[in-house]
Amino acid sequence: MDDRPADGVFRLHSRVYTDPEVFEHEQRHVFGRTWVFLGLESQLPEPRRWLSTRIGRTRVIVTRDGEGRLHAHLNACRHKGAMLARQETGEGRQLVCPYHGWVYDLAGKCVSIKDERTGNYAAGFGSDHDLVSLPRFATYKGLMFGSLSADVPPLETALGEIRPLLDLALEQSPEGMEFVPGRIVFRYRANWKLQLENGTDFYHLTSTHAAFMDVMNQRRQGEGNQEARQFDWHKRLQQRAGTFHFDYGHAAVWMDQAEAEKRPIYPAIEGIRERVGEVRADWMLKVRGISLFPNMQIADGASLTLRTFHPLAVDLTEVRYYCLAPVGEAEELRAWRLRQFEDFFNVSGLATPDDVVIYEDCQQGFATSPGWLQGTARGHGLLRQGGNEAAQELGLEPQASVIGDFRVQNETTLHPAYREWRRLMAAGWEAEAAHV
Amino acid sequence: MSEIPDFGGSARREALAIASELIAYEAALLDERRWDEWLALLVPDCEYWVPTWIAEDELASDPRRHLSHIYYASRAPLEDRIARIRSGRAAAVVPLRRSAHVMANILVESCAPERIETRSSMTCHNFDPHGETVDVLFGWTRHSLLLTESGWRIARKKTVLLNDTMPSSVDVYSL
Repeated sequence: MDDRPADGVFRLHSRVYTDPEVFEHEQRHVFGRTWVFLGLESQLPEPRRWLSTRIGRTRVIVTRDGEGRLHAHLNACRHKGAMLARQETGEGRQLVCPYHGWVYDLAGKCVSIKDERTGNYAAGFGSDHDLVSLPRFATYKGLMFGSLSADVPPLETALGEIRPLLDLALEQSPEGMEFVPGRIVFRYRANWKLQLENGTDFYHLTSTHAAFMDVMNQRRQGEGNQEARQFDWHKRLQQRAGTFHFDYGHAAVWMDQAEAEKRPIYPAIEGIRERVGEVRADWMLKVRGISLFPNMQIADGASLTLRTFHPLAVDLTEVRYYCLAPVGEAEELRAWRLRQFEDFFNVSGLATPDDVVIYEDCQQGFATSPGWLQGTARGHGLLRQGGNEAAQELGLEPQASVIGDFRVQNETTLHPAYREWRRLMAAGWEAEAAHV
Repeated sequence: MSEIPDFGGSARREALAIASELIAYEAALLDERRWDEWLALLVPDCEYWVPTWIAEDELASDPRRHLSHIYYASRAPLEDRIARIRSGRAAAVVPLRRSAHVMANILVESCAPERIETRSSMTCHNFDPHGETVDVLFGWTRHSLLLTESGWRIARKKTVLLNDTMPSSVDVYSL
């Protein structure tokens, strides 16, 4: 990574996507040493429910115990390490290891070791048999996060100034937000950071999704899928747009909304205005994208999407897409939301497959060792330290910001992510060197 | 437990012959990229549905409340897909993957003079000549066939994908 702010230079080398050593180091020192999104509290709506998830390659189980308290543990039995939660979600008073039958309550306490009395354990067996808790676990307005290291700032600090933007996605209903039932998982044969980058990339829309935009033009003649109420991209491309950059690697993009009436929350907007105020309600209607370092993004451009991406190998990534929606949404609005979501997103949609296929093409391109890449330079000349009038509207203080029209298609949103990446990687190298 | 069907009935045998041929014909049209003929085989208000799984053993049952991979209440959105495939302006369709469907175990679940409900097993092998990769989608397909003025047509197609950790692109020709 070549970062020389005084010279207006910020470049990435293709090795960051291809080197297996870099990947292993990321697992230990990026995914192992920062807050990672685990799921929504509303996925555990009642006591005695659990959810299995992961931080990098580490399997994690999040539970809601009998008293309704949330916990996060490593998803591994203390006896032989077998996964305790073998399904994505479940319910029950206890978790029983299917291998030798050790039993844990949902707070993680080991409540039974099968045939313990006849086991002739020596003193060294000790009394610590409870599940290993994550060193840090915290929630923010219904989002659950965990860290494999205790050496992280408090969650509120780590989210920092991006919180008002998260709130715009999380407060669209007074009853909170939920995932629409349904599971979307796909894998692509390329590095996880390609999804990290694409989540705040406006520049690819008019080329990668050219065929999608052709279809939208056809639809304006009254043909095709009218139910999806998709947006007029010609109008979108004329809009004012900008980006905000935050500490700890987060970034956000936004664009004014030309056709607010096509948003599924629009019919409910009066109530939202009364609840959150005029300015924030207008911001809920804008096109917004949030990238929470390292691997969670919320895109509110068509329907509201939350996606996570999990590195499996240097060139293999698993992506999960969720359709995020207001709790208590009217059925016809929910159906509208779903049709808009399915039209664009998912590998069975009309746009996402083009992104994903191109990630794989990038990975193939990296194999030719192109060296220093030029994909983080657009908008650099407009980059300003601190906020701007858009930030003031929301009362947030970003580390840096860009404002212009859509055609700037700024790429500098990647600077904070890679600076955080390098900070964590360098700290890891330093720590490992100290141990040699 | 549902009643065991009357396997010997002549109406069922006739319906099975119609359904088997039509389902095989549809598969041939998709594999051979005869898009206009495929669209013509669907009635204009054809329902096309590929539900997601909600959990390991729970399938989405209501397209208005649950997420679908694809849900269309008419043929028009499928025309969008064909236009996109033909445009040549999308990385996921250039080059287009080659598909080979095997539609098997076709069962007539119910039949009337103008309507046949079927269930079949679907396997579709796909080869991507760009990435030189193969993926296989498989599952259960339910077709509702309708006798129209122009002959037997597809009024509904529902595909339940059993392997739902998806490859990088899934489209009508691989379902």
